Amino acid sequence: MGLILGMDIWVFAAWIGTILATILCLLYGFYNYFIKKSEEEPSKEKNKYFWEKEAK
Amino acid sequence: MDMIFFVVFMAVFAGMFTLLGYLGYKKTKTAEDYFVAGRKMGAIVIAFSYGATFISAVALIGFSGIASVYGHSILWLAFLNVFVGIFIAFVFYGFRTRKMGLSLNAMTLPELLGNRFNSTRLQATSGLIIAVFMVAYASAVFLAIASLFQVTFGIPYQTCVILFTVIVGLYLIVGGLYAVMWTHAVQGILMLVGMLILTIGVYAMLGGVGPAHEATAALTPDVLSSIGSPAATQAPNGLTSMPPFLSKPFMMVLTLIFGVGIGVLAQPQLITRYLTAKNEKALRLAVPYGGIFILLMTFTAFSIGPLCNALMVNNGIMYPTKIVAGTAVANPDAVVPVIVNELFPQWFIVVFLFAILAAAMSTASALFHTAGASIGRDVYEKGLKKECSHKKSILITRIATIIIIIATLIITLNPIDVVAFMCAFFFGLMACTFLAPYTLMLYWKKTSRTGAWAGMLGGFIFTMLWYILVYFKTAPNIIGTSIISEYTVNMLDPLFIGVPLSFLLTYIFSVAIKQDKDEHKTVEKAFENI
Repeated sequence: MGLILGMDIWVFAAWIGTILATILCLLYGFYNYFIKKSEEEPSKEKNKYFWEKEAK
Repeated sequence: MDMIFFVVFMAVFAGMFTLLGYLGYKKTKTAEDYFVAGRKMGAIVIAFSYGATFISAVALIGFSGIASVYGHSILWLAFLNVFVGIFIAFVFYGFRTRKMGLSLNAMTLPELLGNRFNSTRLQATSGLIIAVFMVAYASAVFLAIASLFQVTFGIPYQTCVILFTVIVGLYLIVGGLYAVMWTHAVQGILMLVGMLILTIGVYAMLGGVGPAHEATAALTPDVLSSIGSPAATQAPNGLTSMPPFLSKPFMMVLTLIFGVGIGVLAQPQLITRYLTAKNEKALRLAVPYGGIFILLMTFTAFSIGPLCNALMVNNGIMYPTKIVAGTAVANPDAVVPVIVNELFPQWFIVVFLFAILAAAMSTASALFHTAGASIGRDVYEKGLKKECSHKKSILITRIATIIIIIATLIITLNPIDVVAFMCAFFFGLMACTFLAPYTLMLYWKKTSRTGAWAGMLGGFIFTMLWYILVYFKTAPNIIGTSIISEYTVNMLDPLFIGVPLSFLLTYIFSVAIKQDKDEHKTVEKAFENI
């Protein structure tokens, strides 16, 4: 079977897949930084120590 | 000369980390500060801390060595490390974990489980499981790095172990998670520099990416045998090709890839990183940084392993060996250190060793912190004592962490075989025990306390039995021989059966024994922000 960059097709798939997965991570970061509008954050104070309050 | 390098680097390391420990101490006012760095961490620190915790010295040295035996097929693990370990982990687990952790004021994985299912017993039990196996894992990390420094610098093993443990213990106990995460950022940079130079150097010596792979592909079993490389038999289709389907090398690669590649989703020390994010955006932006970090760690490490065979052939270097029971056997762990020692300049040898030390220290500090929190907060404070002030909570956990560190130190100074097995267990065990209840807890409102108990204990017991009775690496050392002789079964990581079983048990028991009123109320609160 022919080799691609010295690797067989399955190893090359892993090789290129790792690079593509990293590109996916980069695109995800790019999308969230430049395109997506930020969502409302959950109120930390509102939730704080819910457990202790409930216990009392 | 070597000793001078060692002393200077060690002094810089210790000084820098002590300073970060002190700064962490100044910032640590509440339990939230100590356990989850005040939930104030930004994207870069989260990404580096997650990556430095995930990638230990074992991953860099050990897996490069494994790649030198089984070839580039191990690159599938690099793919899973980036795709599952970063993308899936952050996008499908990270955000929900952070939001639920905030709603339930949880600072550890056991606490998240305990609060979500309204059970301090569940919290204490999971904390105990985590702590016991983490001590073994941390011990194995120190054992590997101390052995490496002993060989390179000629410093006694005991001195290395004590020195490394004291430095990590000092900044961790004093500075809490602030210090741990800041030091991770520094250690991560050192790891990046070391691995980048190593990778570029190895590829350059072989003429670039294509020629390097072609030279490695051209190595025949006869050539590999001439340097004593186990790849002659373990990579039957060549070092840049997948082994034949269902052959022993294929099963070995399969079990390694999935054991670590999927197991990463349920590692308590990594889950803590999600809880430290200052906001959701920090977690989202940690994805690209984390992706690049893991790419530059695992992709490089797994790529150069097989190439080391070509370098050894070209330079007349024999594959390293070690003596086991009076016989010399191949020692994959020593492959990369041998290449660095033989073919790289003196200054890089020191940089590389400290990059590996940084990898070991970062993983160990995260393990100590998580294990200390498990014993201090989850087992003692919540499980036994029930109520505690913030200051006392930190004090208890600091004492628990000291106990964990001393236990690790004792085990590392007196290594026993069972420690190596427990370390090998770690990823698979955590996945089989926690992945199902953790995943269903985040995504299925009807997951009940009984379901979580069934999934957790079912996965734990199955994994232990599999390792003791079946798994080809551990069963022969425990009971003499595996009870299943078929290698396509006994070479399987327990994760292949344990995780689906744990999911099934969690589902069946959640449907059969439904939530009570208190649980239902807690669920509403837990999903409030999701």
